[in-house]
Amino acid sequence: MSAEPDGIVPPFPPPPSGTRMTRRWQATAAVVAVAAAVTATVLVAGSGGGGEHAAAKAQAPADGLRHTAIDVSTGTCGQGWSRPRSGTQVFDLHNTSGAAAEVDLTDPRTGKVYGEVEGLAPGTTRPMTVRLGSGSYAFKCLQNDADAVTGPTVVVAGKQPQGPAAAPVDQHDLIPPTLAYQKWVGQRIAELAADTGRLKADIDRGDLAAARRDWLPAHLVYERMGAAYDTFGDADAAINGIAARTPGAVDDPHFTGFHRIEYGLWHGRSAASLRGPATALDGAVHDLLGGWPDQRMDPAAMGLRAHEIVEDTEQFELTARTDYGSGTSLATARANLDGTRAILDELRPLLEPRDAGIAKLDAALVRTQATLDALRHGGVWTSVDKLTHAQRQQVNADFGDLLEQLAPVAAIFEVRRTA
Amino acid sequence: MTDTRGSGDLRRRGFLRGAALGVGAVGAVAGGATALAGSTASAATPSAAPAGRGAGFHGSHQAGIVENVQLSTAFLSFDVTAADRRELTELLHTVTDRARFLTAGGTPAPLGITDSPSDSGTLGPRLPGDGLTVTAGVGASLFDRRFGLTDRRPLRLSRMPAFADDDLDEAWCHGDLSLQLSAPHPDTVLHALRDIARNTRGGMQARWRMDGFSSPPRPSGTPRNHLGFKDGTANPDVTDPAVADEVVWVGAGAEPAWTAGGSYQVVRLIRMLVEFWDRVSLTEQERMFGRSRDTGAPLDGSREFDVPKFAEDPTGDIIPLDSHIRLANPRTAKTDDSRLLRRAYNYDRGMDGNGNLDMGLIFVCYQQDLERQFAAVQRRLAGEPLVDYVSPFGGGYFYALPGVRDRADWLGRTLLA
Ligand code: HEM
Repeated sequence: MSAEPDGIVPPFPPPPSGTRMTRRWQATAAVVAVAAAVTATVLVAGSGGGGEHAAAKAQAPADGLRHTAIDVSTGTCGQGWSRPRSGTQVFDLHNTSGAAAEVDLTDPRTGKVYGEVEGLAPGTTRPMTVRLGSGSYAFKCLQNDADAVTGPTVVVAGKQPQGPAAAPVDQHDLIPPTLAYQKWVGQRIAELAADTGRLKADIDRGDLAAARRDWLPAHLVYERMGAAYDTFGDADAAINGIAARTPGAVDDPHFTGFHRIEYGLWHGRSAASLRGPATALDGAVHDLLGGWPDQRMDPAAMGLRAHEIVEDTEQFELTARTDYGSGTSLATARANLDGTRAILDELRPLLEPRDAGIAKLDAALVRTQATLDALRHGGVWTSVDKLTHAQRQQVNADFGDLLEQLAPVAAIFEVRRTA
Repeated sequence: MTDTRGSGDLRRRGFLRGAALGVGAVGAVAGGATALAGSTASAATPSAAPAGRGAGFHGSHQAGIVENVQLSTAFLSFDVTAADRRELTELLHTVTDRARFLTAGGTPAPLGITDSPSDSGTLGPRLPGDGLTVTAGVGASLFDRRFGLTDRRPLRLSRMPAFADDDLDEAWCHGDLSLQLSAPHPDTVLHALRDIARNTRGGMQARWRMDGFSSPPRPSGTPRNHLGFKDGTANPDVTDPAVADEVVWVGAGAEPAWTAGGSYQVVRLIRMLVEFWDRVSLTEQERMFGRSRDTGAPLDGSREFDVPKFAEDPTGDIIPLDSHIRLANPRTAKTDDSRLLRRAYNYDRGMDGNGNLDMGLIFVCYQQDLERQFAAVQRRLAGEPLVDYVSPFGGGYFYALPGVRDRADWLGRTLLA
């Protein structure tokens, strides 16, 4: 790296255009934007370009960091970075064009992204704080409805360690793992349909002891599919919804599915009263099974779900919020870990080169799983309210750490436009 | 540049989040080399810095002990969930790294697209430092078999016993580690707590937590507690290093060598029955303490810092023999070595089931010897008239670790390394 001279090399040719998929806010006020852009262009002309930007110069940075003003537009993408330095610093990105843009600071040779600002509205300036080591960098400007433009390559000399960066993941990257996961979910739904059929049969013949035995395996199959609930739409609420805390809410006819049946099975309700809910549950699951081949999971949801499954575990299972009498919240938590693993397995090839902490993530999963498994005795799970203080603290510690290790996964798999 | 190990591969090893560290306040623009050079200047014995100005993180003693109380505090006890000694070491490294960064202030590490932001943002994009002090201690339970530390327990560290008037609730007592965060503003305290908790989730879990505050002078002098009395007036003058060495710091002697520069920390969570108190006559209130409520002066004096002359009042006509100050510190040659350093904070945590205000005192004190100082004073106070109006329900004994000397040092190094 240090062999390269400081300086600027000509921009790369614009890569072919792609489609944009994001869960985040995008600038849409195109009409307002044009007026602002005109003003902005004038300002840029006045500043002479190339050097520190007039707007940024006017106010000394209060953060004590080095600031560099950067132009964002198709023609001038990345201009203004004339004195490259390593370290933590701020680029004040000023969109001088007429359209909203995403700006990435990339290594043009590896494609890794060091920093991003999305939805930079025309005429506005926003900061991008990054830590840079020695290496080559270029701003990439991705305007809505236009091809990406890569600005001049800037070289930071020396032997400073590189800052955090990852290659972006685009929609295209995520299609194969999404399809594979979707297929896996299809197999689980088939398994689930067999299980809810058995549960329904138990209840139909009035064998509530069998129903109490068969309820958990069925429920756990469902709990392993955490990343697909979105795609299930309304069926998720019908199959696995919970009742409000309001007194009497458990008797609300809209309260259906696994937890409705759980409530009845563990509160001495009659088989007759559970036939309706059991039939409805089995019906909803079979509908899901029949419709699944036509469903398309959203690739953008893959990374998010990998951490959200466990966020839900912490919020609903570790608090026993969803326990309607069976005391199996920790069994559900354990199934949720399986579900997290299932999605991480699909994402692993993309994650490995991008997440420096993957070994810690794996270790956290192993540890959390071992902690939970130790809370199952002779096939019976300890209920959350029966945990000793030390057990409770260990569960909290393991899940807390696991969640922190999963946070990067969601960040890395935010679908980004690369071209 | 701000951690004790290479920050780059923190998340690759170990088990904690170990977020990358930010750019310290010193030399943020100029770069790492300057910051490193700058850091050596801050080491030295901490002075009794006034609240809010910051005590400096590095020194032979931890900050937050001899400094004045600050306006805002959080006191926590943690259970260590780290599996073994290696993980405990990593935990204390992480606590050190975060404390060093949080107390100095600076820009949180930008993580680009590789992670969620490294900072909650509640203090804005640049942490102010803001006089934050982080004080860490270890409890007797840390020296059980889990970490192979049985032979390293500070000689006098035990599980806090129940004293005569105590009504202890196990859920509010003891713990493997103590952590006190204090600053002039509650947002600084809460930010520090959130940051440290985020980076240590796998290694420790809060056992109990009490937030507190102290008040500005009303109208002058030492801050008042919820009973309306100035609290902290008669503390030993620990700005004098000789006094601090005599009262607070554990030095040479029979103690394990690793303890040098630390101090025994006692925390007592004491509920105050303020409604009951409000229905007591002022004379009775003042005779319970032995001081004037409004001025803080001893009943035989006229100004707050007048020294009570118990010897001239042997039968307690002016300052009753069973008054709090007279029992706590009879000011005789025999009791002189039981003096201790108090740093009390008020707490307020809502309402009680009977409709009363749930308020009290986070009584924290530091000393060289638990028995000779705290326990002796506490035993003298047994049955004092004040006990009808207060109820100790929690707390613990801890050993405040020796200070972190420089950037290469870490909390607990002498204990674990
Ligand atoms: C809710 C409980 C307590 C309240 C409201 C309280 C309040 C006070 C007040 C108002 C004073 C006089 C002003 C001052 O010198 O600070 C005082 C002094 C003192 N208190 Fe307490 N205190 C409490 C508990 C304790 C405990 C648990 C101890 C130690 C075991 C203690 C030890 C002392 C000592 C050593 C003094 C100084 C006496 C002197 O040197 O004149 N206090 N306290």
